[in-house]
Amino acid sequence: MTVATQRPGGGGGQVERSGGGSSGLADVIELILDKGLVIDVFVRVSLVGIELLTIDARIVVASVDTFLRFAEATNRLDLYGKGKGGAGLPDLVQGITESGSKGKSSGVLEGAVEKVGEALGGRREEERDEAPRRRPRQRARQEEE
Amino acid sequence: MSNPSYVYGVVAADTVLPAGLRGLGPSGKVSLVRQGKVAAVVGDVPTDRPLGTRDDLITHESVVDAVAGATTILPMRFPAVVEQEGVVEELLNPNEEFFLQVLADLEGRVQFTLKGRYEQETVLREVIEEDQEIRALQEQVSALPEDAAYYDRVKLGELVVAALEQRREVDATELYEQLETVAVAVAPHQPVQPEDVIDAALLVDRAEVEAFGQVVDRLGEAWSGRIRFRLLGPLAPYDFVSSETVETGT
Repeated sequence: MTVATQRPGGGGGQVERSGGGSSGLADVIELILDKGLVIDVFVRVSLVGIELLTIDARIVVASVDTFLRFAEATNRLDLYGKGKGGAGLPDLVQGITESGSKGKSSGVLEGAVEKVGEALGGRREEERDEAPRRRPRQRARQEEE
Repeated sequence: MSNPSYVYGVVAADTVLPAGLRGLGPSGKVSLVRQGKVAAVVGDVPTDRPLGTRDDLITHESVVDAVAGATTILPMRFPAVVEQEGVVEELLNPNEEFFLQVLADLEGRVQFTLKGRYEQETVLREVIEEDQEIRALQEQVSALPEDAAYYDRVKLGELVVAALEQRREVDATELYEQLETVAVAVAPHQPVQPEDVIDAALLVDRAEVEAFGQVVDRLGEAWSGRIRFRLLGPLAPYDFVSSETVETGT
């Protein structure tokens, strides 16, 4: 696979890179389901039956659940001390999205359900909040040891 | 449909496909169907199941972007299926001029997608330190049990999200200014989550790919600890053919 990772000096370790073919499913879905040339709509619908997925994945989420998530993240800051950088919520959420889609054929539809759930401000968002909550506790435990 | 072909994309007729492509059909074969000066990158289609598995999606992207690594390809949106005879009669023949024109526009160019997301802790600390109203509300809320002060918590989150969006507006403007110095075209997308800063498709001259990579690295270093970047590519120019719908037949 073509991956443009050769960089002079080898510096700039801050930017995570992935070439075509090595992206995560979420990235792939974004690229190939709502972009690109479209041919014959009728063929697409009759043959495939996953038109559901063309629901715009880019609806901006501004639900109560989102607000609660950030309220909680804000509260967590003081509870667990200052100066902690490193990976946090975004990475975990990404990991969850990815692993939630591992179930072969059903994975795609699960992904879609999740998107729709987000868009409607449904309860899925709360479920996703459960896991990130664990992280600071793990960190706290490690510090005790 | 008796004899379907899966179409990955459209290329110039003199294209040589890279070795080792593996399609999503049972044979795995990927080949070219030429017509005049253009060609379709095609393969067979699974007939015993509907398309749309995780593997189908990833295979489509892999084939398209493997070709894009070497030459210009106009990517089809997943899934693109036509009858075998239709590849020439309905797709290539009626649209040859159009395809040639878009291929010429994109010749020697490749897409990258750059995503930037705030390091949540860093930015939330900034927000709390700089905004008195948020700080006061946060202190009030954090003193109470989680199920109390529900509306205050919603209000707190709402203020935090608004503060993030304000920051994004300022930061994204600066990022785009830098990126525009090395990209031929930029297609910005509205970020999805409040902590997302930038989600941009960038069209880059192949000759400038290295310079582009250096600019991205500099951004990564300059914003280190505050924004985390992810760079995808080189990719087919998905975001620069998006608005086109191809008529097939009559």
